[in-house]
Amino acid sequence: MSDREFAGKTAIVGIGGSDFARLYRTPDPERTGEALATEAIAAAIADAGLEKSQIDGLITGGLPHYEPVAYRTGLTDVRFVVDYPQAGRMCAMALMHAATAVHHGLADYVVLFNSVAFRSQGVKFGAQPQGLLYDTIYGMASPGAQYSMGFTRYQAEYGGTEEQLGAIPVAIRSHARMMPGAIMQAEMTIDDYLAARYIAEPLRLFDYCLVNDGAVAYVVTTAERARDLAHPPVLIAGTAGRANFREWYVDLGFWDEACRSMKADLFDPLGVTTDDIDCLQVYDNFSVSVLWGLEGFGFAPKGQGLEWVQNGRIALGGELPVNTSGGMLSESYLQGWNQHAEAVRQLRGQAGDRQIPDCDWSLYWCLSALPGATLLCRDGLL
Amino acid sequence: MSGGGDGYLKPLPTVTHEDREFWAAAREHRFVLPKCQACGHVWFPPYASCPACLSFDRGWTEASGRGTVWGFTIMRQPYIPSFEPELPYNVVLVELEEGPMVYSNLIGIDNADIACGLPVEAVFEDATDEITLIKFRPV
Repeated sequence: MSDREFAGKTAIVGIGGSDFARLYRTPDPERTGEALATEAIAAAIADAGLEKSQIDGLITGGLPHYEPVAYRTGLTDVRFVVDYPQAGRMCAMALMHAATAVHHGLADYVVLFNSVAFRSQGVKFGAQPQGLLYDTIYGMASPGAQYSMGFTRYQAEYGGTEEQLGAIPVAIRSHARMMPGAIMQAEMTIDDYLAARYIAEPLRLFDYCLVNDGAVAYVVTTAERARDLAHPPVLIAGTAGRANFREWYVDLGFWDEACRSMKADLFDPLGVTTDDIDCLQVYDNFSVSVLWGLEGFGFAPKGQGLEWVQNGRIALGGELPVNTSGGMLSESYLQGWNQHAEAVRQLRGQAGDRQIPDCDWSLYWCLSALPGATLLCRDGLL
Repeated sequence: MSGGGDGYLKPLPTVTHEDREFWAAAREHRFVLPKCQACGHVWFPPYASCPACLSFDRGWTEASGRGTVWGFTIMRQPYIPSFEPELPYNVVLVELEEGPMVYSNLIGIDNADIACGLPVEAVFEDATDEITLIKFRPV
Protein backbone atom coordinates (compact mmCIF):
# COMPACT_ATOMS: atom_id res chain seq x y z
CA MET A 1 0.00 0.00 0.00
CA SER A 2 1.26 3.45 -0.81
CA ASP A 3 1.33 4.80 2.70
CA ARG A 4 4.54 6.38 3.94
CA GLU A 5 3.24 6.42 7.52
CA PHE A 6 2.58 2.68 7.50
CA ALA A 7 5.92 1.73 5.97
CA GLY A 8 8.19 0.00 8.44
CA LYS A 9 5.69 0.15 11.28
CA THR A 10 5.30 -3.62 11.28
CA ALA A 11 7.79 -6.45 11.17
CA ILE A 12 8.29 -10.16 10.71
CA VAL A 13 9.80 -11.33 13.99
CA GLY A 14 9.74 -15.12 13.77
CA ILE A 15 9.95 -17.73 11.05
CA GLY A 16 9.51 -21.48 11.11
CA GLY A 17 9.33 -24.15 8.47
CA SER A 18 9.61 -27.81 7.61
CA ASP A 19 12.54 -29.94 6.56
CA PHE A 20 11.23 -30.11 3.00
CA ALA A 21 13.78 -32.63 1.76
CA ARG A 22 12.98 -35.11 4.53
CA LEU A 23 9.26 -34.81 3.86
CA TYR A 24 9.89 -35.27 0.15
CA ARG A 25 11.80 -38.50 0.75
CA THR A 26 9.10 -39.90 3.00
CA PRO A 27 5.65 -39.27 1.55
CA ASP A 28 2.98 -40.45 3.95
CA PRO A 29 -0.74 -40.63 3.16
CA GLU A 30 -1.48 -40.00 6.84
CA ARG A 31 0.54 -36.78 6.91
CA THR A 32 -1.70 -33.80 7.51
CA GLY A 33 -1.43 -30.15 6.75
CA GLU A 34 -2.48 -29.46 10.34
CA ALA A 35 0.52 -31.31 11.75
CA LEU A 36 2.91 -29.59 9.35
CA ALA A 37 1.41 -26.22 10.25
CA THR A 38 1.67 -26.94 13.96
CA GLU A 39 5.38 -27.68 13.67
CA ALA A 40 5.97 -24.50 11.67
CA ILE A 41 3.93 -22.39 14.10
CA ALA A 42 5.83 -23.75 17.08
CA ALA A 43 9.13 -23.03 15.36
CA ALA A 44 8.10 -19.50 14.38
CA ILE A 45 6.93 -18.60 17.89
CA ALA A 46 10.13 -19.98 19.39
CA ASP A 47 12.22 -18.15 16.80
CA ALA A 48 10.56 -14.90 17.80
CA GLY A 49 11.31 -15.57 21.46
CA LEU A 50 7.62 -15.36 22.32
CA GLU A 51 5.33 -17.46 24.47
CA LYS A 52 2.42 -19.06 22.67
CA SER A 53 0.07 -17.27 25.05
CA GLN A 54 1.17 -13.96 23.53
CA ILE A 55 -0.18 -14.89 20.08
CA ASP A 56 -3.58 -13.26 19.66
CA GLY A 57 -4.05 -13.36 15.90
CA LEU A 58 -4.17 -16.30 13.51
CA ILE A 59 -4.14 -16.33 9.73
CA THR A 60 -4.46 -19.81 8.31
CA GLY A 61 -3.64 -20.91 4.79
CA GLY A 62 -3.74 -24.04 2.70
CA LEU A 63 -6.01 -26.09 4.95
CA PRO A 64 -9.56 -27.23 4.30
CA HIS A 65 -10.72 -25.66 7.54
CA TYR A 66 -9.19 -23.30 10.09
CA GLU A 67 -10.43 -24.77 13.38
CA PRO A 68 -8.48 -28.06 13.47
CA VAL A 69 -5.14 -26.28 13.54
CA ALA A 70 -6.36 -23.98 16.29
CA TYR A 71 -7.26 -27.02 18.40
CA ARG A 72 -3.86 -28.57 17.77
CA THR A 73 -1.93 -25.42 18.63
CA GLY A 74 -4.13 -24.23 21.46
CA LEU A 75 -4.63 -20.94 19.62
CA THR A 76 -8.30 -21.19 20.47
CA ASP A 77 -8.99 -17.80 22.02
CA VAL A 78 -7.28 -15.35 19.69
CA ARG A 79 -8.76 -11.97 18.83
CA PHE A 80 -8.26 -12.01 15.08
CA VAL A 81 -8.77 -14.91 12.65
CA VAL A 82 -8.67 -15.03 8.87
CA ASP A 83 -8.64 -18.10 6.66
CA TYR A 84 -6.99 -18.01 3.25
CA PRO A 85 -7.57 -20.66 0.60
CA GLN A 86 -4.80 -22.84 -0.72
CA ALA A 87 -3.38 -20.54 -3.33
CA GLY A 88 0.12 -19.22 -3.76
CA ARG A 89 -1.27 -15.95 -4.95
CA MET A 90 -2.55 -15.27 -1.42
CA CYS A 91 0.94 -15.08 0.11
CA ALA A 92 1.36 -11.32 -0.22
CA MET A 93 -2.30 -10.79 0.66
CA ALA A 94 -1.90 -12.67 3.94
CA LEU A 95 1.12 -10.60 4.93
CA MET A 96 -0.73 -7.42 3.98
CA HIS A 97 -3.58 -8.52 6.21
CA ALA A 98 -1.33 -9.45 9.14
CA ALA A 99 0.55 -6.15 8.99
CA THR A 100 -2.65 -4.16 8.80
CA ALA A 101 -4.10 -6.03 11.75
CA VAL A 102 -1.18 -5.45 14.11
CA HIS A 103 -0.74 -1.85 12.96
CA HIS A 104 -4.32 -1.08 13.91
CA GLY A 105 -4.29 -3.05 17.13
CA LEU A 106 -6.65 -5.79 16.01
CA ALA A 107 -4.02 -8.14 17.40
CA ASP A 108 -0.59 -7.74 18.93
CA TYR A 109 1.14 -10.82 17.54
CA VAL A 110 -0.29 -12.54 14.49
CA VAL A 111 0.93 -15.94 13.44
CA LEU A 112 0.30 -16.77 9.81
CA PHE A 113 1.16 -19.84 7.83
CA ASN A 114 0.76 -21.83 4.66
CA SER A 115 0.67 -25.61 4.84
CA VAL A 116 0.49 -28.12 2.02
CA ALA A 117 0.66 -31.90 1.80
CA PHE A 118 0.48 -32.01 -1.99
CA ARG A 119 2.91 -34.88 -2.46
CA SER A 120 1.53 -37.10 0.27
CA GLN A 121 -2.00 -36.47 -0.92
CA GLY A 122 -1.10 -37.19 -4.54
CA VAL A 123 -2.25 -33.80 -5.77
CA LYS A 124 -1.76 -33.48 -9.53
CA PHE A 125 -1.99 -29.94 -10.78
CA GLY A 126 -3.72 -29.75 -14.09
CA ALA A 127 -5.44 -33.12 -13.88
CA GLN A 128 -8.60 -31.64 -12.42
CA PRO A 129 -11.34 -30.15 -14.56
CA GLN A 130 -11.14 -26.40 -14.73
CA GLY A 131 -14.25 -25.54 -16.60
CA LEU A 132 -13.94 -21.95 -15.46
CA LEU A 133 -11.68 -21.21 -18.39
CA TYR A 134 -13.50 -23.21 -21.10
CA ASP A 135 -10.17 -24.83 -21.82
CA THR A 136 -10.18 -28.39 -20.49
CA ILE A 137 -12.40 -29.48 -23.38
CA TYR A 138 -9.45 -28.62 -25.63
CA GLY A 139 -6.95 -30.48 -23.49
CA MET A 140 -5.53 -27.43 -21.74
CA ALA A 141 -4.53 -29.02 -18.52
CA SER A 142 -2.07 -27.29 -16.29
CA PRO A 143 -1.09 -23.90 -14.97
CA GLY A 144 2.31 -24.48 -16.57
CA ALA A 145 0.67 -24.85 -19.97
CA GLN A 146 -0.78 -21.38 -19.52
CA TYR A 147 2.65 -19.90 -18.82
CA SER A 148 4.05 -21.92 -21.72
CA MET A 149 1.52 -20.28 -24.01
CA GLY A 150 2.68 -16.93 -22.71
CA PHE A 151 6.27 -17.82 -23.45
CA THR A 152 5.54 -18.67 -27.10
CA ARG A 153 3.96 -15.25 -27.38
CA TYR A 154 6.88 -13.59 -25.58
CA GLN A 155 9.34 -15.24 -27.95
CA ALA A 156 7.29 -14.08 -30.94
CA GLU A 157 7.38 -10.50 -29.67
CA TYR A 158 10.90 -10.30 -28.33
CA GLY A 159 12.88 -13.36 -29.42
CA GLY A 160 15.05 -15.33 -27.05
CA THR A 161 15.78 -19.01 -26.72
CA GLU A 162 14.84 -21.86 -24.42
CA GLU A 163 18.52 -22.18 -23.53
CA GLN A 164 18.52 -18.58 -22.34
CA LEU A 165 15.45 -19.27 -20.21
CA GLY A 166 17.35 -22.17 -18.62
CA ALA A 167 19.68 -19.71 -16.91
CA ILE A 168 16.90 -19.00 -14.40
CA PRO A 169 16.32 -22.56 -13.07
CA VAL A 170 20.05 -23.27 -13.26
CA ALA A 171 20.90 -20.27 -11.04
CA ILE A 172 18.12 -21.09 -8.60
CA ARG A 173 19.26 -24.72 -8.39
CA SER A 174 22.77 -23.58 -7.50
CA HIS A 175 21.24 -21.81 -4.49
CA ALA A 176 19.24 -24.85 -3.37
CA ARG A 177 22.47 -26.80 -3.19
CA MET A 178 23.57 -24.40 -0.43
CA MET A 179 20.27 -24.58 1.47
CA PRO A 180 19.78 -27.20 4.17
CA GLY A 181 16.41 -28.87 3.68
CA ALA A 182 16.03 -27.87 0.04
CA ILE A 183 14.56 -30.69 -2.01
CA MET A 184 16.60 -30.50 -5.20
CA GLN A 185 20.26 -30.83 -4.24
CA ALA A 186 21.71 -32.33 -7.43
CA GLU A 187 23.89 -30.13 -9.58
CA MET A 188 22.12 -28.94 -12.71
CA THR A 189 23.90 -27.57 -15.77
CA ILE A 190 22.25 -25.92 -18.74
CA ASP A 191 22.73 -29.21 -20.62
CA ASP A 192 20.87 -31.06 -17.86
CA TYR A 193 18.09 -28.49 -18.15
CA LEU A 194 17.83 -28.86 -21.92
CA ALA A 195 17.97 -32.66 -21.73
CA ALA A 196 14.88 -32.83 -19.49
CA ARG A 197 11.53 -33.66 -21.06
CA TYR A 198 9.07 -31.09 -22.24
CA ILE A 199 5.94 -30.79 -20.14
CA ALA A 200 4.08 -28.16 -22.14
CA GLU A 201 6.47 -27.18 -24.89
CA PRO A 202 8.41 -24.90 -24.85
CA LEU A 203 8.53 -25.33 -21.05
CA ARG A 204 10.47 -28.29 -19.67
CA LEU A 205 10.47 -30.20 -16.43
CA PHE A 206 12.82 -27.81 -14.64
CA ASP A 207 10.84 -24.74 -15.64
CA TYR A 208 8.18 -26.12 -13.30
CA CYS A 209 8.10 -25.77 -9.54
CA LEU A 210 8.08 -28.78 -7.25
CA VAL A 211 4.99 -30.45 -5.81
CA ASN A 212 5.79 -31.34 -2.20
CA ASP A 213 4.77 -31.25 1.45
CA GLY A 214 5.59 -28.70 4.09
CA ALA A 215 4.63 -25.58 5.96
CA VAL A 216 6.09 -22.17 6.67
CA ALA A 217 4.86 -19.85 9.41
CA TYR A 218 5.83 -16.38 10.50
CA VAL A 219 4.97 -14.08 13.34
CA VAL A 220 4.15 -10.46 12.62
CA THR A 221 3.92 -7.63 15.13
CA THR A 222 4.58 -3.93 15.31
CA ALA A 223 8.13 -2.70 14.75
CA GLU A 224 8.05 -1.19 18.23
CA ARG A 225 7.39 -4.53 19.88
CA ALA A 226 9.74 -6.24 17.45
CA ARG A 227 12.72 -4.34 18.82
CA ASP A 228 12.37 -6.15 22.17
CA LEU A 229 12.42 -9.62 20.63
CA ALA A 230 15.01 -12.27 19.85
CA HIS A 231 16.27 -11.20 16.43
CA PRO A 232 16.83 -7.96 14.55
CA PRO A 233 13.38 -6.99 13.23
CA VAL A 234 12.72 -7.38 9.53
CA LEU A 235 10.51 -4.48 8.63
CA ILE A 236 7.53 -4.70 6.30
CA ALA A 237 8.28 -1.68 4.14
CA GLY A 238 5.22 -2.25 2.00
CA THR A 239 2.75 -4.68 0.55
CA ALA A 240 0.89 -4.33 -2.73
CA GLY A 241 -1.69 -6.15 -4.75
CA ARG A 242 -3.09 -5.69 -8.20
CA ALA A 243 -5.57 -8.25 -9.40
CA ASN A 244 -5.30 -9.47 -12.94
CA PHE A 245 -8.33 -11.73 -13.26
CA ARG A 246 -8.63 -12.90 -16.85
CA GLU A 247 -10.59 -15.74 -18.41
CA TRP A 248 -7.31 -16.69 -20.00
CA TYR A 249 -4.60 -17.03 -17.39
CA VAL A 250 -1.51 -15.28 -18.65
CA ASP A 251 -1.69 -11.52 -18.89
CA LEU A 252 -1.41 -10.38 -22.51
CA GLY A 253 1.28 -7.89 -21.51
CA PHE A 254 3.15 -10.41 -19.34
CA TRP A 255 1.90 -8.64 -16.19
CA ASP A 256 3.64 -5.42 -17.11
CA GLU A 257 0.83 -3.19 -15.85
CA ALA A 258 0.39 -5.16 -12.64
CA CYS A 259 4.12 -4.93 -11.95
CA ARG A 260 4.23 -1.20 -12.64
CA SER A 261 1.29 -0.61 -10.35
CA MET A 262 2.75 -2.64 -7.49
CA LYS A 263 6.19 -1.12 -7.96
CA ALA A 264 4.70 2.38 -7.75
CA ASP A 265 2.83 1.44 -4.58
CA LEU A 266 5.92 -0.06 -2.95
CA PHE A 267 8.78 2.10 -4.17
CA ASP A 268 7.46 5.60 -4.78
CA PRO A 269 6.38 6.56 -1.24
CA LEU A 270 9.81 5.54 0.05
CA GLY A 271 11.96 6.86 -2.78
CA VAL A 272 13.30 3.34 -3.24
CA THR A 273 14.59 2.35 -6.68
CA THR A 274 15.54 -0.94 -8.27
CA ASP A 275 19.18 -0.11 -7.49
CA ASP A 276 18.39 -0.36 -3.78
CA ILE A 277 17.15 -3.95 -3.99
CA ASP A 278 19.74 -6.44 -2.79
CA CYS A 279 17.90 -9.64 -3.54
CA LEU A 280 14.72 -10.94 -5.07
CA GLN A 281 12.83 -13.72 -3.31
CA VAL A 282 10.04 -14.20 -5.82
CA TYR A 283 7.29 -16.59 -6.81
CA ASP A 284 8.93 -18.96 -9.27
CA ASN A 285 5.99 -21.23 -10.01
CA PHE A 286 7.46 -21.33 -13.50
CA SER A 287 10.76 -19.93 -14.70
CA VAL A 288 9.03 -17.41 -16.93
CA SER A 289 7.41 -15.71 -13.93
CA VAL A 290 10.87 -14.58 -12.89
CA LEU A 291 11.62 -13.31 -16.39
CA TRP A 292 8.42 -11.28 -16.66
CA GLY A 293 8.74 -9.81 -13.19
CA LEU A 294 12.31 -8.72 -13.85
CA GLU A 295 11.05 -6.76 -16.85
CA GLY A 296 7.84 -5.55 -15.26
CA PHE A 297 9.58 -4.15 -12.18
CA GLY A 298 12.21 -2.55 -14.38
CA PHE A 299 15.26 -4.56 -13.38
CA ALA A 300 15.72 -5.72 -16.96
CA PRO A 301 14.82 -3.71 -20.06
CA LYS A 302 11.54 -4.77 -21.67
CA GLY A 303 12.10 -7.67 -23.99
CA GLN A 304 15.70 -8.16 -22.90
CA GLY A 305 15.18 -10.17 -19.74
CA LEU A 306 16.53 -13.39 -21.21
CA GLU A 307 19.81 -11.75 -22.10
CA TRP A 308 19.84 -9.98 -18.75
CA VAL A 309 19.75 -13.16 -16.66
CA GLN A 310 22.81 -14.70 -18.35
CA ASN A 311 26.32 -15.02 -16.95
CA GLY A 312 25.46 -15.43 -13.31
CA ARG A 313 23.73 -12.11 -12.83
CA ILE A 314 20.93 -13.65 -10.76
CA ALA A 315 23.10 -16.19 -8.93
CA LEU A 316 24.67 -15.62 -5.53
CA GLY A 317 27.73 -13.46 -6.09
CA GLY A 318 26.02 -11.81 -9.05
CA GLU A 319 24.47 -8.38 -9.33
CA LEU A 320 20.99 -9.41 -8.17
CA PRO A 321 20.64 -12.85 -6.58
CA VAL A 322 17.21 -14.41 -7.07
CA ASN A 323 15.66 -17.00 -4.76
CA THR A 324 18.74 -17.63 -2.69
CA SER A 325 17.29 -20.67 -0.91
CA GLY A 326 16.26 -22.38 -4.13
CA GLY A 327 12.77 -20.96 -4.52
CA MET A 328 9.87 -23.14 -5.51
CA LEU A 329 11.79 -24.58 -8.45
CA SER A 330 14.35 -26.27 -6.20
CA GLU A 331 13.81 -25.66 -2.47
CA SER A 332 10.09 -26.17 -1.87
CA TYR A 333 6.74 -25.24 -3.35
CA LEU A 334 5.48 -23.38 -0.31
CA GLN A 335 3.91 -20.80 -2.60
CA GLY A 336 5.90 -17.72 -1.75
CA TRP A 337 6.14 -18.43 1.95
CA ASN A 338 9.57 -20.07 1.80
CA GLN A 339 10.77 -17.05 -0.18
CA HIS A 340 9.69 -14.76 2.65
CA ALA A 341 11.45 -16.97 5.20
CA GLU A 342 14.63 -16.69 3.16
CA ALA A 343 14.21 -12.92 2.86
CA VAL A 344 14.03 -12.75 6.65
CA ARG A 345 17.21 -14.82 7.01
CA GLN A 346 19.03 -12.61 4.49
CA LEU A 347 17.90 -9.37 6.13
CA ARG A 348 18.84 -10.65 9.58
CA GLY A 349 22.26 -11.69 8.31
CA GLN A 350 21.53 -15.33 9.15
CA ALA A 351 21.75 -16.93 5.70
CA GLY A 352 25.06 -18.66 6.34
CA ASP A 353 26.96 -19.55 3.16
CA ARG A 354 24.23 -17.93 1.14
CA GLN A 355 24.44 -14.59 2.92
CA ILE A 356 24.40 -11.57 0.64
CA PRO A 357 26.77 -8.93 2.04
CA ASP A 358 25.02 -5.84 3.44
CA CYS A 359 21.59 -7.10 2.50
CA ASP A 360 19.19 -4.24 3.21
CA TRP A 361 16.18 -4.71 0.90
CA SER A 362 14.39 -7.78 -0.42
CA LEU A 363 11.54 -7.73 -2.92
CA TYR A 364 8.89 -10.40 -3.49
CA TRP A 365 6.40 -10.71 -6.31
CA CYS A 366 3.89 -13.26 -7.50
CA LEU A 367 2.60 -13.05 -11.05
CA SER A 368 -0.65 -14.96 -11.26
CA ALA A 369 -4.33 -14.15 -11.53
CA LEU A 370 -3.85 -12.20 -8.31
CA PRO A 371 -0.44 -10.57 -8.39
CA GLY A 372 0.97 -9.45 -5.10
CA ALA A 373 4.28 -7.99 -3.97
CA THR A 374 6.02 -7.21 -0.72
CA LEU A 375 9.07 -5.16 0.19
CA LEU A 376 11.05 -6.02 3.31
CA CYS A 377 14.04 -4.27 4.80
CA ARG A 378 16.43 -4.18 7.74
CA ASP A 379 15.58 -2.02 10.72
CA GLY A 380 16.88 1.53 10.67
CA LEU A 381 16.28 2.20 6.99
CA LEU A 382 12.83 3.75 7.27
CA MET B 1 -17.02 -32.15 -17.37
CA SER B 2 -16.71 -35.76 -18.44
CA GLY B 3 -16.87 -37.91 -21.48
CA GLY B 4 -20.38 -38.42 -22.79
CA GLY B 5 -21.99 -41.11 -24.87
CA ASP B 6 -21.44 -41.55 -28.60
CA GLY B 7 -17.96 -42.96 -27.97
CA TYR B 8 -16.50 -39.51 -27.30
CA LEU B 9 -14.19 -39.92 -24.32
CA LYS B 10 -12.65 -36.49 -23.89
CA PRO B 11 -13.97 -33.93 -21.44
CA LEU B 12 -17.21 -32.25 -22.41
CA PRO B 13 -18.62 -28.98 -21.17
CA THR B 14 -21.20 -28.96 -18.43
CA VAL B 15 -23.90 -26.89 -20.05
CA THR B 16 -25.42 -24.34 -17.67
CA HIS B 17 -28.18 -21.78 -17.78
CA GLU B 18 -25.52 -19.21 -18.65
CA ASP B 19 -24.13 -20.87 -21.75
CA ARG B 20 -26.96 -23.11 -23.00
CA GLU B 21 -27.69 -20.82 -25.94
CA PHE B 22 -24.01 -20.73 -26.88
CA TRP B 23 -23.82 -24.52 -27.11
CA ALA B 24 -27.18 -24.75 -28.85
CA ALA B 25 -25.89 -22.40 -31.55
CA ALA B 26 -22.63 -24.34 -31.85
CA ARG B 27 -24.66 -27.47 -32.46
CA GLU B 28 -26.17 -25.65 -35.44
CA HIS B 29 -22.61 -24.73 -36.50
CA ARG B 30 -23.06 -21.13 -35.55
CA PHE B 31 -20.52 -19.28 -33.40
CA VAL B 32 -22.33 -16.74 -31.25
CA LEU B 33 -21.04 -14.41 -28.57
CA PRO B 34 -23.01 -12.69 -25.82
CA LYS B 35 -23.66 -9.03 -26.56
CA CYS B 36 -24.98 -6.50 -24.12
CA GLN B 37 -28.21 -4.90 -25.26
CA ALA B 38 -27.56 -1.94 -22.96
CA CYS B 39 -23.96 -0.99 -23.81
CA GLY B 40 -22.96 -3.14 -26.78
CA HIS B 41 -20.09 -4.93 -25.06
CA VAL B 42 -19.24 -8.40 -26.40
CA TRP B 43 -17.77 -10.95 -24.03
CA PHE B 44 -16.76 -14.59 -23.49
CA PRO B 45 -17.30 -16.94 -21.66
CA PRO B 46 -21.06 -16.42 -21.84
CA TYR B 47 -21.87 -15.14 -18.38
CA ALA B 48 -25.47 -14.11 -17.87
CA SER B 49 -24.57 -10.47 -17.29
CA CYS B 50 -22.40 -7.89 -18.99
CA PRO B 51 -19.04 -7.46 -17.21
CA ALA B 52 -18.78 -3.90 -18.54
CA CYS B 53 -22.09 -2.41 -17.35
CA LEU B 54 -23.58 -5.24 -15.24
CA SER B 55 -26.76 -5.33 -17.30
CA PHE B 56 -28.56 -8.67 -17.50
CA ASP B 57 -30.10 -7.65 -20.81
CA ARG B 58 -28.02 -10.10 -22.82
CA GLY B 59 -28.40 -10.72 -26.52
CA TRP B 60 -26.25 -12.65 -28.95
CA THR B 61 -24.20 -11.66 -31.94
CA GLU B 62 -22.89 -13.88 -34.71
CA ALA B 63 -19.10 -14.04 -34.51
CA SER B 64 -17.18 -13.86 -37.77
CA GLY B 65 -15.20 -16.88 -36.65
CA ARG B 66 -12.02 -15.10 -37.64
CA GLY B 67 -9.16 -14.36 -35.33
CA THR B 68 -5.44 -14.68 -34.81
CA VAL B 69 -3.35 -17.01 -32.68
CA TRP B 70 -2.17 -15.07 -29.62
CA GLY B 71 -0.12 -17.91 -28.16
CA PHE B 72 0.11 -21.68 -28.22
CA THR B 73 1.59 -24.59 -26.38
CA ILE B 74 2.30 -28.15 -27.35
CA MET B 75 1.07 -30.52 -24.66
CA ARG B 76 3.59 -33.31 -24.15
CA GLN B 77 2.42 -35.12 -21.03
CA PRO B 78 -0.72 -37.15 -20.29
CA TYR B 79 -2.57 -34.88 -17.88
CA ILE B 80 -5.96 -35.91 -19.22
CA PRO B 81 -6.07 -39.64 -19.99
CA SER B 82 -8.52 -39.27 -22.88
CA PHE B 83 -6.15 -36.87 -24.64
CA GLU B 84 -3.20 -39.25 -24.31
CA PRO B 85 -3.58 -40.84 -27.78
CA GLU B 86 -3.24 -37.39 -29.34
CA LEU B 87 0.02 -36.41 -27.65
CA PRO B 88 1.69 -34.18 -28.58
CA TYR B 89 -1.25 -31.92 -29.33
CA ASN B 90 -1.59 -28.16 -29.53
CA VAL B 91 -3.72 -25.78 -27.54
CA VAL B 92 -4.05 -22.23 -28.82
CA LEU B 93 -5.39 -19.00 -27.40
CA VAL B 94 -7.21 -17.20 -30.20
CA GLU B 95 -7.91 -13.49 -30.18
CA LEU B 96 -11.25 -13.15 -31.96
CA GLU B 97 -11.97 -10.31 -34.34
CA GLU B 98 -14.74 -9.22 -31.95
CA GLY B 99 -12.27 -8.94 -29.06
CA PRO B 100 -12.75 -11.93 -26.75
CA MET B 101 -10.04 -14.55 -26.27
CA VAL B 102 -10.92 -18.24 -26.62
CA TYR B 103 -8.98 -21.44 -26.04
CA SER B 104 -9.11 -24.04 -28.76
CA ASN B 105 -7.16 -26.50 -30.88
CA LEU B 106 -5.75 -25.70 -34.27
CA ILE B 107 -6.42 -28.34 -36.92
CA GLY B 108 -5.09 -28.76 -40.44
CA ILE B 109 -1.55 -27.69 -39.54
CA ASP B 110 1.57 -29.37 -38.20
CA ASN B 111 2.37 -28.35 -34.65
CA ALA B 112 5.79 -27.18 -35.84
CA ASP B 113 4.16 -24.65 -38.18
CA ILE B 114 1.97 -22.95 -35.57
CA ALA B 115 2.98 -19.36 -34.96
CA CYS B 116 1.69 -16.42 -33.00
CA GLY B 117 -0.21 -14.00 -35.20
CA LEU B 118 -1.41 -16.73 -37.55
CA PRO B 119 -4.82 -15.82 -39.01
CA VAL B 120 -7.37 -18.55 -38.29
CA GLU B 121 -11.05 -19.28 -38.77
CA ALA B 122 -13.52 -21.32 -36.77
CA VAL B 123 -14.54 -24.82 -37.74
CA PHE B 124 -17.17 -26.95 -36.05
CA GLU B 125 -16.41 -30.39 -34.76
CA ASP B 126 -19.40 -32.46 -33.64
CA ALA B 127 -18.26 -34.27 -30.52
CA THR B 128 -21.59 -35.82 -29.52
CA ASP B 129 -25.20 -35.43 -30.56
CA GLU B 130 -25.47 -32.56 -28.11
CA ILE B 131 -22.07 -30.89 -28.13
CA THR B 132 -20.18 -29.33 -31.00
CA LEU B 133 -16.75 -27.91 -30.23
CA ILE B 134 -15.44 -24.83 -31.97
CA LYS B 135 -11.93 -25.36 -33.29
CA PHE B 136 -9.82 -23.32 -35.67
CA ARG B 137 -7.80 -23.80 -38.83
CA PRO B 138 -5.38 -21.53 -40.68
CA VAL B 139 -7.09 -19.22 -43.15
